[in-house]
Amino acid sequence: MQATTPGTNRTGAAVSPEQINLMIEAVEDLSPPVPIDTAAIDAERLRYIADADSVGSIPPPASLLKGTVKKTVARFNGVSPSLLLNKIGERIAFERTGTRLYDALIAKYLALSNGTAAFLPLGEMQAENDVQDAIIARRAGENPLETLRRIRAEEHGHFLMLCDAMAQLGGDPTAQTPSADVTGTASMGLMQVVTDPRTTLAQCLDVMLIAELTDTASWEMLAELAAKAEQRELAEQFLTALDAEEEHLVVVRAWLKELMNEAAGTEAV
Amino acid sequence: MTINLFEERGVALGKQRMSWKQMAGKPISKLDDDAFTRVRVILMNGLELDSLRTKQMALRMNRDARVTLAQLMRVEQHQATAINWLIGADHSPLETTIGYEQAAIEITASVAQLEPDPYLAQAYRYALLEDFDHLYRYSALLDRLEGKDANNIVQGYTDIVPARATSEHHRAPEHDLVRPYEPGAALATKLHALTLTGGEYQTHDYYMNIGPLFADPLARQLYAEIASVESQHITHYGAMLDPGETVLEKLLLGEACEVWNYAACLAQESNPRVKAMWEQFLDFELGHFQVALQLFKDAERRDPEEVLGSGDLPGFIAFRSHRDFVRSVVDEETTLRKNETEFVELEEEGASSLTYRNAVNADGSPSTAVSGTYSWMPGTELMRRVPAAA
Repeated sequence: MQATTPGTNRTGAAVSPEQINLMIEAVEDLSPPVPIDTAAIDAERLRYIADADSVGSIPPPASLLKGTVKKTVARFNGVSPSLLLNKIGERIAFERTGTRLYDALIAKYLALSNGTAAFLPLGEMQAENDVQDAIIARRAGENPLETLRRIRAEEHGHFLMLCDAMAQLGGDPTAQTPSADVTGTASMGLMQVVTDPRTTLAQCLDVMLIAELTDTASWEMLAELAAKAEQRELAEQFLTALDAEEEHLVVVRAWLKELMNEAAGTEAV
Repeated sequence: MTINLFEERGVALGKQRMSWKQMAGKPISKLDDDAFTRVRVILMNGLELDSLRTKQMALRMNRDARVTLAQLMRVEQHQATAINWLIGADHSPLETTIGYEQAAIEITASVAQLEPDPYLAQAYRYALLEDFDHLYRYSALLDRLEGKDANNIVQGYTDIVPARATSEHHRAPEHDLVRPYEPGAALATKLHALTLTGGEYQTHDYYMNIGPLFADPLARQLYAEIASVESQHITHYGAMLDPGETVLEKLLLGEACEVWNYAACLAQESNPRVKAMWEQFLDFELGHFQVALQLFKDAERRDPEEVLGSGDLPGFIAFRSHRDFVRSVVDEETTLRKNETEFVELEEEGASSLTYRNAVNADGSPSTAVSGTYSWMPGTELMRRVPAAA
């Protein structure tokens, strides 16, 4: 692993001004600028959108597949049961992928901390307000690796809790719901960054920030949906998960800030 | 559906046109379409690409047929596009890979049961066990890299367990060859070998293209390892083809092979939109066959029945789960190995393969590393309620 330092980056126009001038001459001769108009692209997208099928359907409750009616999904105070199952499926997918992201992040951290080159250990985080202070207090006594492993275990625990919730509502936790499928597509870039041996810890934490910001917002909305559906027990469980995810977000942000402030020029950044 | 190659005329080559929008049409649904729709899409894309490949080689070897070959290739390339674009973008490359291995397993299992030549049937079963093991290794990677369950793709049709370990698939090239079928072989034998050769070619090329797109070092290693095995499989199946066939004979067989496979797809397709595509392309291929037939007659002055028999199509590949058959092959033939063109017991394996294998596995085995302790379960291994090992 190498530090991110100034070097021979060749991508910018400023690197080769003479060549760029020749390119600009070619453009002026052969495709001179006109007002930008992407209407053709827009129109084509609109046509495809109008004609498109959905990515897929929400799986029928397992109880219906088995032909029993006893555990058929209840009505949820106006909330569509299918919507709730779809969104729980989404969080199942996200938490499961999140667990794997933390697996990769832990490997990254271990590679750094075991290396012979200088590495800045992640020190105590500084709270910016009382809420953060309370959150940070919870991890008192943990070293960064222990924190990472705990977060990973919490992501996994959330996944299992969601699987139970799905089963309780008569859904199939192993099915890929449409929202699970879409979040899987969205998460591909996150996985690519964190598993790349060349990325630094800070670059990986930038990606985890995307994941945790999404996680907190999504848990919040899922808890609201469960509450609206009068699934009080589930709503409480989801709020507990949200609490943990908020801590993950604080941790990731604090580590990122610390790395930016204290570790520029090291392998970690 | 009864089709005789010599009697059906299909659509004339000059009338086979598609617009870009027809080629880039609506994809299938990863979630809702039957896994065998995807299997058929993967198979037919592979056959179209192989048809294109064969014709490009023919172009280099036949002055008189150049214009006709160019005309045929234009349509084949557009057919391949229309088919391959059916795979939706929500398939991650690794999920598509699972689809490729499922296609290889279930199609090879069907062909192994259809094949009348016992030696070649053995050869199909041999490579079947290897693609079967690839599914297990890739499923472990999908679970552990993306956090996804391979059963979302295989839909319960195909077991996800190890067979002959991928780390053992690496043979010295001289032990990859298979004895070719004889010129008088049954049409079924010829079409089976051509189908599997095209399928493996496509799989190899796909892995070679997407392998470097992964950031994860183990994924990159695994694709490198299995792409190498798929290349061996191209040799394995390609070596079945009679080297004495002329270029135009191969062209004729290639068109017959496409007709046979499109007809099988049409007979078994559950998605109406995709079924309509199979029907259209069957008609296209019947038209191509007529063109190839004329070229063959004009240039070779031979009776096409020497190559194709009566022209009646043999029994179709059965696009369904072959679980029981595959399990019996796993039970009975996992320990088989290769010695030149023969299938032998473990201890009789060609010595040069051991040397070669030791060299490629010298720095470790990616397929072994990625799947250590892996045991598939519905919903990924993270569904287990026991703490993960440290």
